[in-house]
Amino acid sequence: MNAISLVPLKWRFETRLALRHLMTGGGQTLLTVGAVAAGVIVIIFLTALIFGIRGRLTKTLTEAIPHVIIRVRQPQPVPLSELQDLGAAMSSSRIEKQAPQMKFIDDWQHVVDVVRAVPNVRIALPAVQGQGFASKGGNPFGVTITGADPAQQDEVSPVSRDLIAGRYVGLASDEVVIDYELAKDMSVSVGDRIRITSSAGNTENLSIAGIYSRGQGRGGAYVTLRTGQSLFAMGNSVNVILVKVNQLFGSDEVADRVESLVPYEARSWSREYPSFVSSLNVQAASAYLISGFSLIASSFAIASVLIVFVLQKSKQIGILKSIGATRIQILRVFTLEGLGIAFAGAISGAVIGTLIVYLISLPLQKTARPGHVPDQLFPVAILPEYIFGAMLAAIISTVVAALFPARRAAQMNPIDVMR
Amino acid sequence: MGATTTTDDTRPIVVATDGLKKTYFGKIETPVLHGIDMEVRAGEFVAIIGQSGSGKSTLLNILGALDVPSEGRVLIDGVDIATLSEEGLAALRNRVVGFVFQFHYLLDELSCLENVLTPITISKGEASEEEIARVIGLLKRVGLESQLHKHPDTMSGGQNQRCAIIRALANQPKIVLADEPTGNLDSRSGNEVFNIMREMNRENGVAFIMVTHDDRLAQEADRILMIEDGWVHEVDKGEHRTKLLSSLEKGSAQRPGPN
Repeated sequence: MNAISLVPLKWRFETRLALRHLMTGGGQTLLTVGAVAAGVIVIIFLTALIFGIRGRLTKTLTEAIPHVIIRVRQPQPVPLSELQDLGAAMSSSRIEKQAPQMKFIDDWQHVVDVVRAVPNVRIALPAVQGQGFASKGGNPFGVTITGADPAQQDEVSPVSRDLIAGRYVGLASDEVVIDYELAKDMSVSVGDRIRITSSAGNTENLSIAGIYSRGQGRGGAYVTLRTGQSLFAMGNSVNVILVKVNQLFGSDEVADRVESLVPYEARSWSREYPSFVSSLNVQAASAYLISGFSLIASSFAIASVLIVFVLQKSKQIGILKSIGATRIQILRVFTLEGLGIAFAGAISGAVIGTLIVYLISLPLQKTARPGHVPDQLFPVAILPEYIFGAMLAAIISTVVAALFPARRAAQMNPIDVMR
Repeated sequence: MGATTTTDDTRPIVVATDGLKKTYFGKIETPVLHGIDMEVRAGEFVAIIGQSGSGKSTLLNILGALDVPSEGRVLIDGVDIATLSEEGLAALRNRVVGFVFQFHYLLDELSCLENVLTPITISKGEASEEEIARVIGLLKRVGLESQLHKHPDTMSGGQNQRCAIIRALANQPKIVLADEPTGNLDSRSGNEVFNIMREMNRENGVAFIMVTHDDRLAQEADRILMIEDGWVHEVDKGEHRTKLLSSLEKGSAQRPGPN
């Protein structure tokens, strides 16, 4: 009863009566609180699951790739139909003419400094990337060669983490780390020497320092930056700068900023995988849609229970009016009841919803790769902003649902209902 | 027709009607009151009698600003209630007029004391210590001191009706309108409740207008108004008593007279 003294004097009668109604409402109160709670639980569960899946998919896709790749601008092939300006003069020689170009970033030290200063950038790693062949006596196998500082490379596309034999950090210039599939194809193991020939034509004999297994892609070979530069005859240059950002979905802005600062092309991962990003967005949109529908459904349930409640209380409403209660006071009583139901439902829904999400986050998958921390069976994310958002949305929709019956109560005519 | 107050009375008029008409417009037009002129002075106890459907309750509802007349004026404590806003009418019902109904119409969710304090909390949010003490005094006066914290469903019909009477008096109104307050009680409880109203009327100077079917109780009022076919006329108490006694002798009265 002391809590009531916090309520302004003008609202105390209404607050007290609303609380009494709720406390003596029994099953009806529980039913409406349950409807609100159910709505909140659905939203919390759904958003946790959707954003959990989104998080896992994004992580799987992006943890092993650079978020932004900076390289020398290359002419994109343009369909002839889009070259309207050229008209009759157009010829197919356009791409060929532009093809021989500078492909190296000679001033990479400067570019790396500039990129590192861009907000949201975590790492900017100068590297050499290109195609080549690996062989040991027999047939050559195609490889993607990456030459970069091992410690920093681990931050961009982890190699050490996925090693199943040998080492990567501390790689010497005559050493290479290759993936498990490639090692299997060539029947080699740590310590063996293989030949790597780059697309530039240079060949190096390298000894295998480590073998990794990433579970995706095949034919990777990691060497030091210096070895990479000599394989591709780049001298002191690099041909890519690999960037990792802190905010994954802010990588487009980083790419745009970099392009405005240096005369190179910067491609963000989300532009490399537009269909992936749009499917994530469709997923999120459907989660919002289902949340909205469940709120609407629970609002209808609440409104109908409250309408019955108001009808049951119609005699009382008549009495209250006959002893001087105004329309606005009656409106307040039933709106406050809606608010009480909303808060009770939102809080209990949030607690139960969070608990459910927590419980389903516990079971783990059987791990596919030995030595790895197993993933959650159900990828879920407990996101405080969505829990509070769900509570807020439920409170607003419940109060709106309560307004209709409350208005009806306020408009009741005492002699009609007491007759 | 039927204007009815003694002219030598100097007490202020608290209720007055002037050509009051009421017609219900449903599927068919039903005229209920044809032109009521009446006055009630401060501290009077007036009984309104009449057949079922004669318009007694309609009149009472109009006097209490729960219903609006089709024609004519109602002055409560000198104010034409047709001039009042929604808030003004609510304030009138809250502070000037008190209601007692055939059914106690207490709120089940509230205790006897809380019910009695409702008119005060409606207008002020919270009752003061003095108001609570005064109201408890009244409840003691009607023998409810042991029922203060009981809820209506655990109290007897007579106790509930006494509680309802004190609720009607809680905001110290000038008029209490009682619509068959004993109609739902056995005769013993009915007598008790009536006596309490009479005492409250005498002790606090509150005017009572009581609609009743009970001629015996009507006899105890200061004045008797009879509504017949939508018209009101004052009944001479002596004449009424004679009529009552004669009907008693014929054995047609349902209940023996008081005392």
